[in-house]
Amino acid sequence: MRKENGAQWLLLVAVFVIATCGLIYELVAGTLASYLLGDSVTQFSTIIGVYLFSMGIGSFLSRYFTGNLLEWFIRIELLVGLIGGFSAAILFLVFPMAASFRIILYGLVSLTGVLVGLEIPILMRILQDKVEFKELVSRVFTFDYIGALLASLIFPLLLVPHLGLIRTSLFFGILNIAVGWYLASYFKKEIKQGFLLRMLAILLLLAELVAFVFSESIMSYSETMTYNDQVVYSTSSPYQRIVITRNKRELRLFLNGNLQFSSADEYRYHEALVHPALSSVSSLKRVLVLGGGDGIAVREILKYPAVEKIELVDLDAKMTDLFSTQEVLRSINQSSLLNKKVTVHNEDALTWLRNNRELFDAVVIDFPDPSGFSVGKLYSTVFYQLLRKAMSPDAVAVVQSTSPYVAPKSFWCVDTTLQSAGFLTKPYHNYVPSFGEWGYIMAFTNTNRNWYAQMPDSLRYLNRETLTQLFVFPEDMKAHAKLETNRLNNQALVNYFEEEWGNYLE
Amino acid sequence: MDRRTFIQWGAGLAGLSTYLLSCKPERKIPGVIVGANATRGHLLRDKESHRPANYIDKELVIVGGGISGLSAARWLRNLGIKDMSLLELEDHVGGNAHYGQNDLSAYPWGAHYIPVPNNDLTEYLSFLAECEVIVNTDAGGLPVYNELSLCFDPQERLYINGRWQEGLIPQFGVPTTEMKQIELFLQRMEEYRYKKGNDGKDAFAIPVDRSSKDPLYTKLDEITMKQWMQQEGFSSESLQEYINYCCRDDFGTTMDTISAWAGIHYFASRKGKGANASHSDVLTWPEGNGYLVNSLRRSVSEFIETNRLVTRVTSVKEGIFIDYLDGKTGQVAGYRAGKCILAVPQFIAARLLEDKVRQQLVKEKVHYSPWMVANLKVDKLEERSGAPLSWDNVLHGSQSLGYVEASHQLLQQDKTQRNLTYYLPLTQEPPAEARKKAQAKTHAQWVKEILDELRIVHPNIDEAVTEVNVVLWGHAMAQPLPGIIHGGIRQQLAQSPDPRIQFAHTDLAGISIFEEAFYQGINAAKKMVE
Ligand SMILES: Cc1cc2nc3c(=O)[nH]c(=O)nc-3n(C[C@H](O)[C@H](O)[C@H](O)COP(=O)(O)OP(=O)(O)OC[C@H]3O[C@@H](n4cnc5c(N)ncnc54)[C@H](O)[C@@H]3O)c2cc1C
Repeated sequence: MRKENGAQWLLLVAVFVIATCGLIYELVAGTLASYLLGDSVTQFSTIIGVYLFSMGIGSFLSRYFTGNLLEWFIRIELLVGLIGGFSAAILFLVFPMAASFRIILYGLVSLTGVLVGLEIPILMRILQDKVEFKELVSRVFTFDYIGALLASLIFPLLLVPHLGLIRTSLFFGILNIAVGWYLASYFKKEIKQGFLLRMLAILLLLAELVAFVFSESIMSYSETMTYNDQVVYSTSSPYQRIVITRNKRELRLFLNGNLQFSSADEYRYHEALVHPALSSVSSLKRVLVLGGGDGIAVREILKYPAVEKIELVDLDAKMTDLFSTQEVLRSINQSSLLNKKVTVHNEDALTWLRNNRELFDAVVIDFPDPSGFSVGKLYSTVFYQLLRKAMSPDAVAVVQSTSPYVAPKSFWCVDTTLQSAGFLTKPYHNYVPSFGEWGYIMAFTNTNRNWYAQMPDSLRYLNRETLTQLFVFPEDMKAHAKLETNRLNNQALVNYFEEEWGNYLE
Repeated sequence: MDRRTFIQWGAGLAGLSTYLLSCKPERKIPGVIVGANATRGHLLRDKESHRPANYIDKELVIVGGGISGLSAARWLRNLGIKDMSLLELEDHVGGNAHYGQNDLSAYPWGAHYIPVPNNDLTEYLSFLAECEVIVNTDAGGLPVYNELSLCFDPQERLYINGRWQEGLIPQFGVPTTEMKQIELFLQRMEEYRYKKGNDGKDAFAIPVDRSSKDPLYTKLDEITMKQWMQQEGFSSESLQEYINYCCRDDFGTTMDTISAWAGIHYFASRKGKGANASHSDVLTWPEGNGYLVNSLRRSVSEFIETNRLVTRVTSVKEGIFIDYLDGKTGQVAGYRAGKCILAVPQFIAARLLEDKVRQQLVKEKVHYSPWMVANLKVDKLEERSGAPLSWDNVLHGSQSLGYVEASHQLLQQDKTQRNLTYYLPLTQEPPAEARKKAQAKTHAQWVKEILDELRIVHPNIDEAVTEVNVVLWGHAMAQPLPGIIHGGIRQQLAQSPDPRIQFAHTDLAGISIFEEAFYQGINAAKKMVE
């Protein structure tokens, strides 16, 4: 009698664990789907729907399970532990690879749902002869619902903040399997394959434990998959996700998933960005760099011995810190940010310019592409008017201006905007293999100068002959239409950019 | 979204589900109900009427430091008048265009923008040049607007059918038959914009007094906007909701009560054109029209006396006796002025003059809408899909007018915090009841109401909000009900009992906008020196 009673409570505890785990898997799937696919309302409601429906299927199917029900119960328990436990890890890993991510997602959710749906009816049948029906129903469902409540509370409050999704699902997988193993041991007399089941449980337990410990690497492995190459460093600043990858040939920097440079050909970009402008200033003492927290443009600027002082303004302290301290990164910018001529300001460029009273002989502007309203401000007439005020009469500024091949309207819109802010311009472009055709615009007010006279010797890309080619635009890189000026009150550039790059990437 | 923000997002979700389970004790959101103007106003109503012992002589006194009063003072100063005082009951001038400030930015407490002005408003344009809102004139003679004052893009968005769409005119998910009506309506308004009456004047002009008296148009002042919509067959629900929003936004009352003339004026009176802007553009600043207040204030600062509650204005042969209560000392004092401009709402003017006829007329004809305005300081908000956060953010079908991002005109690229100004005209009940109810509400009750609504579009609002301050405008604006504008009531109220006393207030324009206040001030000032 005693044993009988204990068994009954043990099974009810199992119900409790199952209910908790089941709901947790569902929450993990919902959260993950909203994270990876966006639109949380849709994701959550479809996942809850599919999950509950699958539980119904499970309950329906339970009638076909006969024979040793206890054994079935333990098998299912282990299976739930396996599938549910690994679900988050699987989803993270397949996301970058599988085109049909949704199929896998809903497949996993239905499978877990079916299995959880099987468990309660089977359990009730196990207990039906041992407890009076009204007691049975009352107890089983009480435990079921309490488990659900517990899950919904601890998931957001404890699990997601402290464990993360992969570990949360593994943790509950481990719980599931542990219960399975315990049941298999407790009832070993009543089931035939007890040993086998227990061994299986231990194996699964070990597998999940290992995965739990290495979940960080699963995370970064999945990031690697997204980036093709091995992720050697990744971090988040308040402004962006910074990821550095490497393969045999090159090191790459991504900001929010967008390639910033590849060590293999960045010199083509940075030489083209810096030298046409700087080599055309006869008295080059003070240089301002806006953006360009990687310090590579500064590396090129330091090739002019006359430069006395470089001010670099980049919003993100994480970027400039990384590129001042990390060995691999310093080997790329040749420790330029540590040079005593260089002062780093981690401030908003527009605000900084507004407060600035100094005059500069050259300004290098290396902002991210104008893909949103907040960055769009840094390409506006207001910005360029402030820029003009920061330039000495003889100064030249240069602006990285996205790809004139992919986004000719965007490129020429920057040109139009610079002109309407009172600048004369020289647009040009070159080929950077990892970016494609890339564009830059020089802006100045005094055209009477010795253009490119101070070009440093022995650059890797630029020479006298290539220099002249930069300024020739083929037909497919011209605008062919009148373009709007980018102003704060129309953000024309952001619209062009969205239209052009949107089409290109589709 | 990267993984880190994802974890934070997860934490946000934590907040959401705890909310759903409502097992977390409600967080007390810091903030207060700002301003004691209601209580001070009551001082006037319930005042003890003993007179000051002596009066100081002044050539000219202006009562009220709102836009009307400040504009009058500026005009008179430009004419060289020196012996002048402007008395304001609050500790600041600005009236309905007052603003507040926190460590992030300034924010409006009331009026927050002006549309690009009509080009025939010479005095107004030159004032805007004085404020550096107009920076130049182009070759074609068009004003060039300061790009820091022109509202940055994106300007407006509307939450409708579960999604943010660009612009405030309903589109997303609106059936094509309704869309046709909306287009037709806008086309009609576009026609009205350039219509002239038989007297050669614009049918719908700013200031209102410059409009044509052609009965073809003025008879629109005899019916309500709703009646006009019905007459014209504009039955679309989305259109009506939009028009209703516009009426509440500009007049603080619904389209079934306001005059059709006023309703159409809202759409058809703007004809302004700049070198870099058109009549659909607006000029705005973090502090809202407080920016313009500051410019006016600077030009007349030597005349301003704050904390002066004027309690009585008596005109006798010897002069105009103006009694006031010094808010700092609690003492009564007074001026004996040669002339006086009453730049206060009419319900106050009638009391100050102790003019029973005027009081009765105001009580019968002039209805004031009460408003609640709240400023919320928020951390990063979770967004619904569709158009990104804009300057003006409106929820279709909501009681409120949504919110304006006060920090929108800040230049920095990345904002981790924002100030949002939330507007709620209290139009659900008749003004007196609504006013009473509003005054009885606690800070916590207001906060709950605001967050309950904003949660629809920002699920994490409960975590993101760090401060909410509330202001109640008991008599925010006089409603342009049928008959007010062209039915002779305004004209009757504008009649002064004594030519040495003139009125200046948007109440008398019938429409409560900056331009009207500005010209109310100028017109009264001109009469002072006639
Ligand atoms: C919530 C809200 C939002 C608005 N938004 C806009 C907008 O975006 N754009 C726009 O153009 N307009 C807006 N308006 C309309 C706004 O009222 C007018 O633009 C303008 O500011 C009115 O100025 P005024 O001088 O006529 O009146 P008020 O601002 O009412 O000025 C009257 C002044 O007199 C003072 N006063 C009253 N009684 C006494 C007394 N007894 N003694 C001494 N002083 C006294 C008051 O304190 C006040 O300063 C808004 C109004 C409100 C309430």
